[in-house]
Amino acid sequence: MNDTNQTDKKRFRHIRNILAVTIDEYKRLLKDFGVLLILVIAALIYPLLYGTIYLNETIHDMPIAVVDHSNSVHSRTLIRNLDATPDLKVTHTFSNMEEVKDAFYKRKIHGVVYIPADYSLKINKMEQAIVSTYADMSSFLYYRTLALGSNFAVLEMGDNVKLERLNDKGIVGREAEVAAEPFTYEAIILYNEPMGYASFLLPAILMLVIHQTLLFGIGMSAGTAREENTFHELTPLNSDRSVFHVVIGKALCYFSWYLVVAAYILGVIPKLFNLPHIGNPLDIALMVVPYLLAVIFFSMTLSVFIRNRETGFVVFLFTSLILLFLSGSSWPLSSVHSFWRTFSMMLPSTFGINGYIKINSMGATISQINMEYIGLWIQAGFYFITTLVVYRWEIVNSRKRLADLVI
Amino acid sequence: MLGRPIYLFSSVFVMFFCYLFFLTFFSEGLPRSMPIGVVDMDHSYVSRTFIRNISAIPQADVTENYANYNEARDAMQRGKIYAFFVIDKNFEKELMSSQQPNFTFYVNDAYLVPGSLVYKELTYVSKLGSAYVHKQLLELRGVTVDESQILATVQPISIDAHLLANPYSNYGVYLINMLLPGILQMLVLLMTVFSIGYELKVKSTPDLLKTANNSMLAALMGKLIPYTILFSILGIGGNFILYEYMHFPMNGSMVRMSFATILYVMAYQAIGVFCIGLLPVLRDAISMVAVYSILGLSFTGFTFPIEAMPHGIQVFQHLFPIRFYFKIYVNEALNGAPIRYSIIYFIAIAAFFLLPFIVYERLKKAAINLNYPAK
Repeated sequence: MNDTNQTDKKRFRHIRNILAVTIDEYKRLLKDFGVLLILVIAALIYPLLYGTIYLNETIHDMPIAVVDHSNSVHSRTLIRNLDATPDLKVTHTFSNMEEVKDAFYKRKIHGVVYIPADYSLKINKMEQAIVSTYADMSSFLYYRTLALGSNFAVLEMGDNVKLERLNDKGIVGREAEVAAEPFTYEAIILYNEPMGYASFLLPAILMLVIHQTLLFGIGMSAGTAREENTFHELTPLNSDRSVFHVVIGKALCYFSWYLVVAAYILGVIPKLFNLPHIGNPLDIALMVVPYLLAVIFFSMTLSVFIRNRETGFVVFLFTSLILLFLSGSSWPLSSVHSFWRTFSMMLPSTFGINGYIKINSMGATISQINMEYIGLWIQAGFYFITTLVVYRWEIVNSRKRLADLVI
Repeated sequence: MLGRPIYLFSSVFVMFFCYLFFLTFFSEGLPRSMPIGVVDMDHSYVSRTFIRNISAIPQADVTENYANYNEARDAMQRGKIYAFFVIDKNFEKELMSSQQPNFTFYVNDAYLVPGSLVYKELTYVSKLGSAYVHKQLLELRGVTVDESQILATVQPISIDAHLLANPYSNYGVYLINMLLPGILQMLVLLMTVFSIGYELKVKSTPDLLKTANNSMLAALMGKLIPYTILFSILGIGGNFILYEYMHFPMNGSMVRMSFATILYVMAYQAIGVFCIGLLPVLRDAISMVAVYSILGLSFTGFTFPIEAMPHGIQVFQHLFPIRFYFKIYVNEALNGAPIRYSIIYFIAIAAFFLLPFIVYERLKKAAINLNYPAK
């Protein structure tokens, strides 16, 4: 009886110590405007900012020029077709390529369609007419917009020509339709119907905002602790608190606050900006738990390299881009050297971003993202241990310094 | 500058790492053999021909065969495939009896780059397949199609697409050429603010001024010029790696491009001085340039064009030298445009040099009086 009481007390001592650390950390954060700026203001504002910048998803009515040397009914129909696509707008008609160059270099137009003199003639003579397009390659989206729009306009016109020719051969009506197009095809775009930029990029950015604000916030907090504590150590000594208490207590502070942040970033923002959100919120919540833990312990481990309040940004800011690409959300990882693929598995952002895209944008369930989910738990465990090791090392070091001082 | 590892780390090491990272990461240029799946419910000669033709596309690789739609969708949600196509039962029979069957493919555009590429290829193969059958049906009807007329019959109008300066739509060219300057501006800003702000923070600016004979201008120059040289070398070295060694398109002048790189470095140093002058607290200024340099990547407009942003947002592009640097790059490297089209952008970048003069007095007072909190 007495014995169980003792263990109970001991257990409560652990909880009491951990919670005391958590509360201390909260108090420290609330007094530190710099850290609040990152963990609260940046975390809340960034998603709004990105949502607004990428609001339009894609280019509509991209200005293009047409050089029409055919000047025929056929060429005018094609120009009308081009202008009628949602992608393109024929804003300039030029008679020679020199004028085109001037407008192109001034960035007034982002594409050119050139209709040669023999265009109509070839159509009438049953030959293949060729139209040339010139794309502004300064952005993939300019190229894609011109390719989609011009392909659509040309195919539509080509189908009409095909029908006319079949009619000439005596094949008419439904029969001609089937002959011109023996089977139809239907392309179904899943999980991002507008083929939009925001719907694809923002889910990844949202997860990254969680990751990077934690990394910089924890980094700044650690840097401050070093500057303020006597021995530039990460955590003040306290005989009753073990490394275990300190690590769990601090993590609990960030974890509890980031449950709120994650609910806002992953739950509210996608609805606000009309981004894909077909996932089950419960599945997202299930995945967010190991993601936050993995990111927090990952950041706490890295924070031993931070000597000053501000060095976190200086040292780690460039990683925002690296992490985004390593996640494979933009460039397919199947086309990346296996070294980077393996390396990316060590980062919580990789599993976090892909897991979230799969649940939130593609409607996967937690059992369908087994690899990411289990991967995140393994990372959480691994980085928890590395955090214990580096904190312990820090504490042992500062004890040594204290002992030196006493002697 | 060499005193603490952070100075070398956040300039030379990070820049080298990023060159190495991005060049190896996009080494394929265009993704090849992206996994896609098929649901073949017809099991016919026609459906097998289809699968063979799609397997022949270099960008795609038909890796999986699924029994039904649900299995294929499950694989897509797990991220095993980027697309799949369905050939319905009786496809061949309906095709032969002129019932115009339907062929459907599903593309996952949550991953936009592989999605867009696979979409383009599958559309092309479908068109081609349809055209091929069209020709055969015409022949069955006794309409003879001359060898010379085949193309004209199946595709009366064709597009000859010219992808100026990037004929294979190499992704590395789209991205790396601006991602690396993007990293460079980030490092220039951070190091400028850190090198000055740290002196303010540890209250060593009075000593610094003393060494510079009480001239703030001389003190600033002494601090900044080594970085101007270092970052210019890193930037111009990068130009050589990209345009000479990697043979990325360079249709203009390397000299002008490298001159732009030097102006670019100096403009960002000027902005760094402006920020630390405006907010002479290291923490505030460094947070400010961190946000600003990350936003700069969006406002370059090299991934998502500026014209596609909301109008009220578009005006902010003028606050970022990287936007003007991008326009110079497009004119020089991609289009090989005459210099008269770029002069205005060179001037715009140089205009940022004026910023430090606005905060000069304020920064000087802060350096002498140290009247701002260190934290």
